[in-house]
Parts: sequence; C-alpha cells; structure tokens
Amino acid sequence: MVLEEEIPKFTAWIGPALVSWLFVAGLVTVFAAALAWLVQSALYGPLAAGDRVYRGVLGTLADLAGMSPRRIWALARLAVQESLRRNVLVVLGLFAVIVLFAGWFLDPASVNPGKLYLGFILSATNLLVCLVVLVLSVFSLPADIKAKAIQTVTTKPVRTGEIVLGRMLGFALVGTVLLALMGAVGWAFVVRSVRHEHELLADDVLEIRAEDGSISGFEGRMNLARGHRHRVELGPDGTGRTDTVQGHRHTVRAVETATGRAYEVGPTEGLLEARKPLRGTLRFLDRQGKPSTKGISVGAEWSYRQYIEGGSLAAAIWTFDGVTEREFPDGLPLEMIVRVFRTYKGEIEKGIAGSVRVRNPASGLQCDPIYFTAKEFTIDSLLIPRQLAATTTDGGTRQVDLFGDIVTDGRVEVVLQCLEPAQYYGVAQADFYLRRGSGSFVMNYAKSCLGIWFSMLIVTALGVMFSTFLAGPVALLAALSVVLVGQFREFIQRLFESQVTGDSKIVPGGGPIESLYRIVTQTSITLDLDPSPAVTAMKALDTVLLAPMRLGAALFPSLSALGTSDFLAGGFDIPWDLLGAHAMETLGYLVAFFIVGAVCLKAREVAA
Amino acid sequence: MHADPGPSRGAHDHDVIVAARNLSKTYRDFWGRSKKVALKPLDLEIRRGEIFGLLGPNGSGKTTTMKLLLGLIFPTSGEALVFGRDATDVSKNERIGYLPEETYLYKFLDAEETLDFYGRLFDMPPEERKRRADALIAMVGLARDKKRQLREYSKGMTRRIGIAQALINDPELVLLDEPTSGLDPIGTREMKDLIIDLKKRGKTVIMSSHLLADVEDVCDRIAVLHQGELKELGRVEDLLRVTDVTQIRARGLPAAAVDELRAVLQRHGGADIEIGNPTTTLEELFLEVVRDTEARPGRRARQAEKN
Repeated sequence: MVLEEEIPKFTAWIGPALVSWLFVAGLVTVFAAALAWLVQSALYGPLAAGDRVYRGVLGTLADLAGMSPRRIWALARLAVQESLRRNVLVVLGLFAVIVLFAGWFLDPASVNPGKLYLGFILSATNLLVCLVVLVLSVFSLPADIKAKAIQTVTTKPVRTGEIVLGRMLGFALVGTVLLALMGAVGWAFVVRSVRHEHELLADDVLEIRAEDGSISGFEGRMNLARGHRHRVELGPDGTGRTDTVQGHRHTVRAVETATGRAYEVGPTEGLLEARKPLRGTLRFLDRQGKPSTKGISVGAEWSYRQYIEGGSLAAAIWTFDGVTEREFPDGLPLEMIVRVFRTYKGEIEKGIAGSVRVRNPASGLQCDPIYFTAKEFTIDSLLIPRQLAATTTDGGTRQVDLFGDIVTDGRVEVVLQCLEPAQYYGVAQADFYLRRGSGSFVMNYAKSCLGIWFSMLIVTALGVMFSTFLAGPVALLAALSVVLVGQFREFIQRLFESQVTGDSKIVPGGGPIESLYRIVTQTSITLDLDPSPAVTAMKALDTVLLAPMRLGAALFPSLSALGTSDFLAGGFDIPWDLLGAHAMETLGYLVAFFIVGAVCLKAREVAA
Repeated sequence: MHADPGPSRGAHDHDVIVAARNLSKTYRDFWGRSKKVALKPLDLEIRRGEIFGLLGPNGSGKTTTMKLLLGLIFPTSGEALVFGRDATDVSKNERIGYLPEETYLYKFLDAEETLDFYGRLFDMPPEERKRRADALIAMVGLARDKKRQLREYSKGMTRRIGIAQALINDPELVLLDEPTSGLDPIGTREMKDLIIDLKKRGKTVIMSSHLLADVEDVCDRIAVLHQGELKELGRVEDLLRVTDVTQIRARGLPAAAVDELRAVLQRHGGADIEIGNPTTTLEELFLEVVRDTEARPGRRARQAEKN
C-alpha cells in the first residue's frame, strides 16, 4: 500500500489544523464582507451598504442562535420524503446490476482478488452514493424556489440556517441509508467472492525422508480452486501451511480416518485482513555505505520508491521506535514489500536474493544476515527470532538476545540489502513494518465506509450550499468543479508554483493556454518555448488563470484524500488517528458550507 | 391620494400591526440596472382587528407589497414594520399566517402531513400539532380527504388546505393573497365568511384581490394601487359613498305610496329619480339555489320555479 505521508497523531494534528481553519475562515469572512459591501455600495451608496452589511451580519448571527432542532428535523424529514418521491431507491437496483457485472467480469484468478473486489465495490459505492446525494441536493432548493413552495416555509419562523441544515441533514440521511445498504451488500459480495476451499488428497502428498530414512516432513500440491493452487510443506506430524498465492495461504492438518490419512485445509489467511503495523522511519546508505538522503532513482517518474543497488554496501535502514518485549514476546514479525528492478533478466522465475539484519541503533551491534528472496507484489513475512547469531570482531559467532542486546530504549534498526549485483531493490518507508497484530476486517470495512460517508457528507453540503444561490444545473456544475479542483489540488498547487517561479521542472508543460498551444503545435512538454513577447503574454495569462484555481486548490476539499479504501484493500487496519483527522476535516468543511449557504440564502430574495 | 387616519382615531401605537414607511421596490437586472418599478414610495398603517384590502389590477403592486411585508423580498428604500419589527425579522412570523396567491405546498404530502410539517416549523409540540391539524382539517372540510396526497386535490381543495396551513399557528395577523382565486361561489362565500370570522376573533387580516365584490363584502379599509402607486386609501363605506345621491329602501309599500314618494322627491328638486325593486346579487342567487337543492334533492330550486 502506498503511504506517501506519515499519519500524524490526532492529538498533535488537531491544534495546528484548528488554527489553520480559523485563520482561513476569518480571511474568507472578511473578504466576503468586503465584496458584499462593494456590491451594495454600487446599488445604494457606501453608507447604506455598510448599514445593510452590518444588519445582514447581525441578522445571520441572530438566525444561527435561534435555530430549533424541531424545525431542522421537520425540514430534514421533508428532504427525505422528497428523495423517496424522486425514487431515489432505484439507485439500489443500479448497484445490484453493478455487483452482478462485477461477479461476472472481475477475474477471481488475479494477483490479489481481495484487493480487486474491495477496490471495485468501494469505488462503485462511493461514486453512486456521492452522485445521488449531489443530484438530490443541488436540485431540491432551486425546485422549491421555482415552485414557490419555499414561500410557505420562509413565511414561517424558519431561519435560513434551518433550511440549509435541514436539507443537508435530510439528504445526508438518505445517503447514509444508501451507503449502509450498499456497504452491507458489498461486504457480503466480497466475502462470498473470495471465499474458497481447496482439497489436499493423500495421493498428492509425498513424504520427505531424512538421510537416516526417517520422515522429516511432507510436500504436495492442492487442487485448483478459483484459478490457483498452493504448494504445501508439512511437518512430520502432518501440520503446516501452504505457500502464499494471490495474497493468501491456508493451514493444513492431517487427520487419521478409517480409510487412512486425510488432510483438512483451513480457510484463507491473509486475504481479508486488517494488519496493524508499527512503522519506522527510513534512511539510506549509498553504494559506498555512506549515509544518503535518498536511494537511487531508476527512472520512474514517480519517486515514491527509492532503490538500492545489489552487491554493494547500499542499504535501506528502518528505525523502529516503541518496540517492547511485551508486545513482541516471540520476536519481531517483520512484514515487507520489496519491489525489484532488474538490469538484466536473469532467472525470471527466481526471486532476487536479499538480506535483512537487525541492529542496535546505539552500539551498532547487529545480527548475522537473514536471507530471503524478494516476492514482488505480495507482502512477505519474516519472523526475526528472539535468539540471533552475531559475528564477533574476531570472526567468531555468538548468540545475542533480541531484546537484551539489539533493542535499546525500544528502538531497533532493520537493515535491508540486495545481494545480487546489478539488480536493485525498491522500497518506501511504509514498505517495512512490524506487525502488531490484526484488527477486525468487518470493523476495518466499516471504517472504510466511514471514509465514503465523509465524502458523501461533503458532497451533500457542497450541493446544498451552491443551490442556495444558483439554479440547479449551474449548482451541479459548480459542485462538480469544486470536487474536480479538489481532486487535483496538489497538482494545481505545484503547477502554480511552477508558473510563478518559472521553473518548468516542477510541472512541465505550463498552464492551460500554454498547454493548448503545445497540443495544437504538437510541441513536447519537455521543450522550453523560445522567449518572445507572445510567449511572455501567454505565460502571464496562464498565471492569471491559475491564480483562482490555486486559491480553490487551497480551499476546496479533496474527496480522494478522505478515502481509506487503499488501507482496506491493501489489508491494513485504518488508523483511528487518520479517521479522526478526516472526521474533523469533514466537520470543518460542513460548518463552512453550512454558514456560506445560510448567508447566501438569507441575502437572497426567494420570491423575486 | 387620500390621507387616512385609520379605523380608530386616537388608537395607541401598539395597535399598529403593520406599517410601511416610504416603502418602495424596484426590480433590477443582474447588473443592478433598474428593470421595473414595482412599488412607488408607500406609507401605510394597518391596525389591530381590521380587515384591510389591497385592491388593484394585475401588476399594480399588491403582491409586491405583501411580499415586502412578509420579508420575502427586500425594499429598495423605506421600511416595512410588522408588529414593530423589520419585515425581514423572522421572529415576527410566529404571529403571522400567509396564504399565497397560488397554494404553493408540497404535493407529495397529504393534508395531515402538510399541517404536521408546518406545525413543526412553529416548533409546536406533537399533541398541539395533532389537535390543531384535526381542528383545521375539519374546519376546511377535508376530513374525508386528509390521507390523500395534495397532488390529487382539486384547486378548491388545495386552496382550503392552504388556508388551513396559514392558520396552523392561530396567527394574530393573516395575509391572504387573492384568497378567493380559483374558488367556486360556495367556496368564495365560505372564504369570505372565514375572513369575517377571523375578524370577529380579533385577528387582523390583510387581503389582496382584484375581485371588487370580494373586497367590498369583507374589507373595513382598502388601499387602491395602480401601477405601483397608492391611489386611494380609506374605509370602504366612505370611499363608496355617493354623497349627492339619496337611497330609500322600504318593504311592503303599495303602488300609491311609491307614486307619492316620487312626487315628493320631484317637488324637492330631486333629479334622476329611480324607484323600483332592487335586484339581488348573482352570488346570492346561486347560493340560494344550492342551499335549496341540498334541502330538497331532485327538485328544481324554488327561485327557479318562481321565474
């Protein structure tokens, strides 16, 4: 799973986030008041405009203070009734069709079917729920204003804030019910789709004999199920595990029956999991063994993973903090994702060999290498035992205790090296972790649905906010634009930086006008345009066009950033710290959209 | 324009329920340019307990005035005060009932749900909502149709549920925009009776209409608007009184007495003398026929038989 940024502790995150929110909210408020005064000044003169803005602000505050839960609930109920009248439940039928198609067309023999199914179902759920609440929320209020039904509401003691909040609440309720139903169906679908059973026949199991003729174990192959089969290695007592295929394995146990020995194959392990990792920080050593800020780039444009050269002193070193004997009494359950970049093909069926060592960060004492073969695209696990061998300075070997000699003050280093010359290992900080255990998959699935719920709430609030001052179709476009800008906010931020600094390496190709010019003239984005007055004017215009987009990128929500389906599909427990941050971020946007909506509706003549 | 002191001279200021001071409205386009002057500066006071009529042809500014008083639109200049508060102050709505020109209700709700919904908007507790809704549904005669969605209602039924929602909070001030619009003569009569009943219960009613007979029948005072401007304001009987004409009505006079009267009137210089039998209104005739038909089903109405 890709984790580009470290997940901060919620308690450390909330303070600065709140300050930042208050600052932006204050800035937007001042800007909006100034704009309102300017517009009113043009119509009524500066003094009257000041009076109107002042009274508007006071009126809004009084309205917000006088809101009644009963009225809000009445308006929320109305929104729910309206949604039902619009046959919103039809979307469940559409979802059922999508699930059917998923059952037919998704490949159960893929590398990681759990990830495939979960990713698909959650994406479909997210898209459908958000789309439905967006359509409901943008068209509701404009329809009421057009049909003048709003006049019988606003002539009651109803605050504009109640109208806005009631609608947000009502449509959010509809979205929540849809999400709950789709989530439940999706969960059942995924679990049913990945669940499978293998059979291990006694005839398919061969004995492994030691040199003295005794049985040292068994090996065999299971039958084909869901497009794959497992190899199995069993101990002398007939128990063991299969190899990992398609991201999972099975336990196997021999049982004696009247007709002879048979094998019981357990359910899938590792497919629908919620791993709880203890993550460390990553640093690199270059090929001479000197500290380096990063590894080698092998030319991929995305520099998430850095590479270390094989057969050299290059190493990737993770430092883990908070490692205790109490939590890991049997040793360190290291799990790792190692990407491989081959400069020559070699034996493609055979993995690239590497080693892992644990090291004392204070004394430098390290154990002897533990060898492994990198398995690409799957999570490899390695239990680093309590008792380890370490080479002494005189070339001898001595036993060291993991917690007695290696772990110091809860800190330990894990050193990864690639052993094959001219081959490379690619790793990122999140690729190595110590497994703390597993959370409940059902709970993790629910947490992931919570991420979708946050997106749905934001989309609902956004739609209602725009509908307070725009006609339905325009409000729909506006909301979609905000979502789109939010989706690309990091790109837009970098693009603007590139535009302002003139550094085309940050984002090559320029702004919208320059990009259009390059498309029309078929000029590569890597080529700098020859300086001329026309190019200067074009770049200046791009900067002007990008400025509001940059502002939007700073303000608008990124729905994809709220999603946590990557964690779920990757088999990782979704951290509560992350969910807490997302919840507060969502709340921040909801409050902002609600206030903007209430102010806009109050300033609007609903019967004009 | 007439200066009008209001219905009760010397009344205290707290008796003024509605006041418009230099109230005007100009509709503007997107760029702020003046598009239409809907209401020229208007000064008006409406006092507690009166039925006030806003009279004028279509586009005269009646509905604009009403919307300004309700805070549905904002004045271009001047101010509108309701219960002494600015018309845009929503708290005034606690004491107001409003029936719009068309009954703009949620058609996917039934009558009970509609009244329950509006009752909730007044923050009324459930028992009170139920009690008020039942009473109002019975009052407007929709008890048998209370479970039907409003989309299935006729225009008259929609109008009746509209008046019920306007009265859900037992308001002190009722604003009725074209209250008899779309009603048949019976419905019109019932509506007018209801308005008079509201007055009897101490309510203040403001109604707008271009149906002169309706206004004349129920209103204490009227304001005549034309092209957004107030043209007349005063008590109905004062405005309608023809001061240089004398009307004499009597029942059971013989023909000789009529001739004698005519002679007396001529002797005193009376001009354009008319003496004859008065005619009733078409509305009265219609209601008489309906009442008679309902009392004697299957028979021709007595009035018709007489003719």
